[in-house]
Amino acid sequence: MQKNGPLALLFHGLVVAFVLAPLVIICLVAFTPENTLSLPTGGVSLRWFKAVFAHPDFVASFWNSIWLATLSATLAVAFAVPAGLAISRFTFAGRDALNALFLSPLIIPHLVLGVAFLRLFALVGATGSFSWLVATHIVIVTPYVLRLVLAALSGLDRSAEQAALTLGASSWTTFRRITAPMILPGITGGWLLAFINSFDELTMSIFVTAPATVTLPVRMYMYATESIDPMMAAVSALMIALTAAAMLVLDRAFGLDKILVGQR
Amino acid sequence: MAFLALERVSKHYGAMAAVDDAALTIEKGEFVSLLGPSGCGKTTTLQMIAGLVEPSAGRIVLDGRDITNEKPNRRGLGVVFQSYALFPHMTVAENVTFGLEMRRVPRSERIERVREMLALVQLSVFADRYPREMSGGQRQRVAIARALVIAPPVLLLDEPLSNLDAKLREEMQFELRRIQRKVGTTTIMVTHDQAEALSISDRVVVMEQGRMTQVDAPYRLYEQPSNAFIASFVGKTNLIAGVWRRDGMAGAVDIGGIRLEAPSADFPAGTPVTLSIRPEKILLRKAGEGQLDGRIASRFFLGSQWLFTLETPIGTITVSIPNQGEEPPAEGATVGLDWSPASLRVIASAMAHPGGGTA
Repeated sequence: MQKNGPLALLFHGLVVAFVLAPLVIICLVAFTPENTLSLPTGGVSLRWFKAVFAHPDFVASFWNSIWLATLSATLAVAFAVPAGLAISRFTFAGRDALNALFLSPLIIPHLVLGVAFLRLFALVGATGSFSWLVATHIVIVTPYVLRLVLAALSGLDRSAEQAALTLGASSWTTFRRITAPMILPGITGGWLLAFINSFDELTMSIFVTAPATVTLPVRMYMYATESIDPMMAAVSALMIALTAAAMLVLDRAFGLDKILVGQR
Repeated sequence: MAFLALERVSKHYGAMAAVDDAALTIEKGEFVSLLGPSGCGKTTTLQMIAGLVEPSAGRIVLDGRDITNEKPNRRGLGVVFQSYALFPHMTVAENVTFGLEMRRVPRSERIERVREMLALVQLSVFADRYPREMSGGQRQRVAIARALVIAPPVLLLDEPLSNLDAKLREEMQFELRRIQRKVGTTTIMVTHDQAEALSISDRVVVMEQGRMTQVDAPYRLYEQPSNAFIASFVGKTNLIAGVWRRDGMAGAVDIGGIRLEAPSADFPAGTPVTLSIRPEKILLRKAGEGQLDGRIASRFFLGSQWLFTLETPIGTITVSIPNQGEEPPAEGATVGLDWSPASLRVIASAMAHPGGGTA
């Protein structure tokens, strides 16, 4: 194992500190007993955490976001896997156009998408519908899943599928028993990325959520525009803790390397 | 009646003919190799038999049944891929049992047949391993077991030994032949390695640019190559251009004014021909005692044999002689080259006429 020189160590240390600092500070601020965003110098308090749970709006928005992210990530996988198979396996008229169309939401600013969807919702009279909100999120998270599925498919040894065929498997059985398990790291990685992106999405959601479907980021944004108090920090600290716990559970249960990289 | 027959099978990709008018019949239990350089159409031929590539023309008949348009999963043939194509997420036993599962073989019978097959390829103790935990040679044997467990009428092997190192390759050649003899499955193997094809096949099919140019038993193929390409591709040889001269009952070849006696052949006098002399058929004698004299340009010691290149009046000639425990003449020496005229092969020079011309 090669050792890093002192300069390299210093550089890496700075990068890590820069990445971690906001997370650490926000978590510390969450424990402040004061009424302003300040570090808890004069003792710690859980009052802002209590405040979060006393706000039914935040809890409702949290569940909204969870449902929204789960549904849109799952449906995005359902669209991206067949699309990925078609794009990587077949040459057909409009193949490149389809590929570009699926990836275009990555390029279009979410602000523009938000305005466009708002206009569309008004036209079809779908304002405030949760299903339409899910549809908009599917549009923005599908590119992530598609990219990962395409990458997994391009690295796949197709002779394994041919071997399954010659052994008597139908095309569907071959997909289910051979192809799907072999590209599973791409699918699960794509799902996770999609989930995170949907869960974090603010810019577009501001336009397309209605009072009944407000997501957590939108709720936080709305709250923050009215008052800056340490409750924001408490919500953030809760999110960080939740994410860390989820990662820990996934790693223990399946191994994060296996899910995201495909190593076992 | 042939067990497997290719009837004028062709595969075209646009204007390019990957396989051109291939005709071949294979008997039950035979081990046949498709031999040729890369791009000669041998793998395409195998894939058409497997059903993975659709022929542009012709018919493929297996045991009296036309399978030309049958899906690969209905043909029931065993295929071993060059990359082995093992299922990485399944254990060895799961890999081998897959084909039986697809055939809805009852569980107890499946376990029994997988056990037998793993014993045949000597991998019984590895049943619960994953492919990535095994060596190349072991993976290869898993692939063979997986293909054979469904008791296929024909086993198709696509360059099965090319991913193994030289020593292992030699071992696996004989292992492959042992397994094939034991189960008696009709086998077709694709290879670019002539030594591999010669050592384990009953018959060898040589393919060049999509065409099958010679189909023969290994010994006949080596001794009676039907064109200059085959003579040099199968084993090593010296090829010398000359002109055919009829000389009484026997033949003779004129090489720049030097006349060499050759076995009789059916050419009109004056035909340009190519003479093939295998390096091991030439003996070294004292200068003046052979058919030609030559100067030793280089000498290599290969352990079991000596390899010489000699400058002679008919060009540079390669000679190999077995190591008999005595040091042969050194570089720079002049020696006589001698051979039995019967060991010469006279081949029509034009490549466009590959069919005729053997002595």
